[in-house]
Amino acid sequence: MTHKPLLSRSLVAALALAALVPTARADENLLGYTTGAETLPQGATEGYFWYTQRNDKGSGHYAARDYKAELEYGFTHRFTGSLALHGLGIDTHGLSIDGYLPKDERYGFKASGIQLGMKYNILSPVKDGLGLSIYVEPSYFWKDPHSGQDKDSYKLETQLLLQKNFMDDTLVWVGNLGFEGTWAKRKAIADLPPGFDWPTTPEMEIELSAKTGVSYRFAPNWFVGGEVVYQTEFETEVGQERWSVFAGPSLHYGSKQWWATLTWMPQLAGGGASTYPGQPEHLHLVEKTKQEIRLKLGYNF
Amino acid sequence: MHKELIWLSLPALAAPALPAYAVQYLTLEQAQRALFPEAAAFRETRILLTAEQRAAIEKASRVRVRVPELNAWRVESAGKTLGWFLLDEVYGKHEFITYALALDYSGAVRGIEILDYRETHGGEVRNANWRAQFVGKRAGAPLELDNDIKNISGATLSCKHIADGVRRLLASYEAVLK
Repeated sequence: MTHKPLLSRSLVAALALAALVPTARADENLLGYTTGAETLPQGATEGYFWYTQRNDKGSGHYAARDYKAELEYGFTHRFTGSLALHGLGIDTHGLSIDGYLPKDERYGFKASGIQLGMKYNILSPVKDGLGLSIYVEPSYFWKDPHSGQDKDSYKLETQLLLQKNFMDDTLVWVGNLGFEGTWAKRKAIADLPPGFDWPTTPEMEIELSAKTGVSYRFAPNWFVGGEVVYQTEFETEVGQERWSVFAGPSLHYGSKQWWATLTWMPQLAGGGASTYPGQPEHLHLVEKTKQEIRLKLGYNF
Repeated sequence: MHKELIWLSLPALAAPALPAYAVQYLTLEQAQRALFPEAAAFRETRILLTAEQRAAIEKASRVRVRVPELNAWRVESAGKTLGWFLLDEVYGKHEFITYALALDYSGAVRGIEILDYRETHGGEVRNANWRAQFVGKRAGAPLELDNDIKNISGATLSCKHIADGVRRLLASYEAVLK
C-alpha cells in the first residue's frame, strides 16, 4: 500500500510530539498485559505509548518490536473511547518456519495497523466492591506481526474486565477474559523456497484468553506486581493451533502528569498443533517467542 | 540506530523532565484559621494511640488505623475550648491526600479543608458543596458514598477515602478526645 510510508512518518511524529506536550489513574495501567476495570473521568484525555519487544524463537535470530500510540477520551464517567496506531519492527534471519516465517526480514519501523477501543464500566471497584467493565476493540492490521510480511487482518476482540481492590485500594487484583475473532488474508510472496507453504486464501481464527494479576503500592507513586497470561488460538485447518502461558513481574510508577509500566513476560509453557522441526519442547515458538518485554508510558492531558 | 527509533525514544527521555505539580492549597496555619477564624490559640496535642484504642477505633469506624498517631490541636478562645482541629492523611491514587477536620466542642463536624491534593483526577473533593455534606456529622453516622455522602463521578476513590478518613477521626474523637 502506498500510504504506509506516510503513515509511518505520521505515527512517529505523533508519538514524539504528543510526548513533548507538558501536561498536568483512572485508566492507568498498573500491569503490562492485564487491564483494570476503571475508566477515565468524563472529559479527561490520556495518551499512551507502548513498546513491546518479542525475542527468541529458540533457533536462528528473531527480534520483533511492536509500537502502539493511543489517545483515549472519557466520553462519560463510564464510557471511554480510544484510537490507536500500531507500528512494527522486525529482525529475523537464520530461521524458516513452514507456513509462518517464509524468509529473512529486517526493518526498523513500519506502520502496521489501526485500532478502536471502547470500554464501558458497569461496577466500580472502589464503590461497589467488585469492578466490572466490558471492552470491545475492532482493529485492522496490514502487517503480519510474526513474519513482518504483508497480511490483511480484521479483528474484533471483546474482553470482560474484573477488578477487586484491597487494603485501602493499595492492593489491586485484576482479571480479564477475552474472545477475539480474526479474518485474515496474506499477500503472495515471490521467490519462496520450493514447497514452502504460504497460503493466500482467507483464514479464520478464534483466540481465547485469560489473564490475572496483582499490583501493590509499596511506596508513594510506586507499584510492584505480577501477572499470568493464558492464550489459545483455534484456526481453520488445524483446530487448536497453539496455546501458551506467560507470566512475569511489573514495575509501575505513577504521578500527577504521567505514568510508566515496565513488564517482563517469559513464556512458561506452550504447545499446540503448530511446531517447527527442532524447536525447544514444552513451549509454543511458532507465533510466540521465549519472552516479551513491554514498556508503557501514559500522559494525562 | 534506526532514525525512527531515535524519535520514538524521545517520550522516554522527556518524561522525567516534565514538571511535577505538588499543589499545596493551604498551609497548616491557613487551614486552622479557615476552620476556626475566632480562635485565640491552637494547643497541639499529639496522641499515640494504644493497641486497645486502635482496635476500638477500627471496630467503630470499620476503617484501618494505618498510623497510630493522632495529630490534634485543642482550639481555645477566651479561656474556653471551642473544639478540635485534626490533621490527617488518606491514600490518593498515587500519593497522600492531606486534609483537616474541625470538630466543635460537642464532637460534631464543623468543616473540612483539603491542604494537599496531588492526583491527576478527583480534585473535585475540594468543592465546598461536597465538603459541606460532612458538617454536623457525628460518630456513628454512616458516612458512606451513595448513602449520606454523595459521590462525585470521576473522583470516587478520593471521595471514599476522605469519607472513610472522617469516619475514622470521629471514632478517634469518641475513643480518645471526648
